[in-house]
Amino acid sequence: MLKSLFDSIGQVALFGAKALRDAWVPPFECEYLLTQFYEIGVGSFFLVVASGLALGVVMTLHTRSTLVQFGATAEIPVFQSLAFFNEIGPLVAALLMAGRVGAGIGAQLANMRATEQIDAIETLSVDSFKLLVVTRVIACTVMLPLLTMFMDAAGIFGGFLSEHIWSHLSWTLYMQRAFDGVALADFLPPTLKTAVFGYLIAVISCFYGYNTNEGSDGVRKAATNSVVVSSLVVILADVILVKCIFFLFPDQAI
Amino acid sequence: MTEGQVTTIAFEQVEKGFDGRKVLDKVSFTVAQGEAICILGRSGTGKSVTLKLMIGLLQADNGKVLVTGEDMAALHEDGLVKVRRKMGYLFQSAALFDSFTVNENLALPLHRLDRNKSPEEIKRVVEETLGEVGLAKDGNKMPSALSGGMQKRAGLARALVLQPEILLVDEPASGLDRITASEIDDLLMKVKTERHTTMVIVTHDIHGARKIADKFAVLDQGRLLAFGTPEELDRRNDNWLQQFIAER
Repeated sequence: MLKSLFDSIGQVALFGAKALRDAWVPPFECEYLLTQFYEIGVGSFFLVVASGLALGVVMTLHTRSTLVQFGATAEIPVFQSLAFFNEIGPLVAALLMAGRVGAGIGAQLANMRATEQIDAIETLSVDSFKLLVVTRVIACTVMLPLLTMFMDAAGIFGGFLSEHIWSHLSWTLYMQRAFDGVALADFLPPTLKTAVFGYLIAVISCFYGYNTNEGSDGVRKAATNSVVVSSLVVILADVILVKCIFFLFPDQAI
Repeated sequence: MTEGQVTTIAFEQVEKGFDGRKVLDKVSFTVAQGEAICILGRSGTGKSVTLKLMIGLLQADNGKVLVTGEDMAALHEDGLVKVRRKMGYLFQSAALFDSFTVNENLALPLHRLDRNKSPEEIKRVVEETLGEVGLAKDGNKMPSALSGGMQKRAGLARALVLQPEILLVDEPASGLDRITASEIDDLLMKVKTERHTTMVIVTHDIHGARKIADKFAVLDQGRLLAFGTPEELDRRNDNWLQQFIAER
């Protein structure tokens, strides 16, 4: 059991390292890469923004009910922005990507394997790993930080909507309070850590999809494993990366 | 093989197994340049595995698979690409990329392997090849919008787009009605006569096989039981063999 777990971890690690190495070796499959940027980035945009907006509203409703007891409702905007920049934006965007994109990648590649499309690519002297895996890994790694920024913005805007309805707070004042005391270190490292999340989601999902060979049952397993394992790994990686950020930016830990 | 003919594909004592089960057991035969051979046999006797060994999708456990003189097991990535460049493969399910149009399916290898070709040239080659298989007006369709026969034609067009010296075909008649299967056979015949392409065809359709093949290779339980011209095998007084090669 333990041996098989370490075997799997080793295989995924080698698969991920190969993707990282091959990303720098031509040909760069630019046309297919653009398609992946579109499918992964633009395709996830509405889900991420809608979720961010809803979370922003709900978060404000919860924090308001607590802060009102201490007369600290003026702090709601900055709580909102810090919460989204530091944790909610990066983690929720990553989990949404694991659900939407990870399942899609796992199922699509497993189906391509089952229907011999991957073999067909190889017979045409095209490197199927570069075409199918490396492009998806790059696209997820680049798009997740961008999607996280949209989630942060939507969450802050959702907070504003809620506050505006409750207390008629103006846009200017809300934004002033939201960014008062927020440093670049509050925004940049947590946003950049999502590039690691994107890489992990893509590598894990591609691994399960690319290496399956069990027909329709393999497609089901690949889709399920992609979501479950990549979500779990993202959460575990978050713990490690937050510790790293605290180490590199000690002010963040206070 | 007659004297003076060049060997394009050679199997030398090839063995291949999966999960402890031997699928090919010391199989040896050669295919000469421009020759068409049909591999016949019951399901699960290693026919498709033979094709996959030829194009390097699988590696033999023992023995040698030589394609144009190159040992497929000894080739590294670059060498494999060079050998595969000479080969086309029509899969049983056609295996068209379902997220690409038919045109894009054909253009993919041209873009990757012939980087000197302009987009206009690639478009022309794609249109010409689709015209040859009777799909000139269907290039913008997605594979899911094509019938089984059209998918096979598109798969054949993709296999031919790089003008291969060797064409490997897995069950061209599978899942098709007799008339459509016959049309695919006619296309293969056309390729054979006009381009002098070396062909290896795995099939259950003896009618089509007799139309195309110069030689039959009959496999059973991983062993090559018979190899020769249809006439030679017809003369053999072997009931078991006749089950496979007699026209029904």
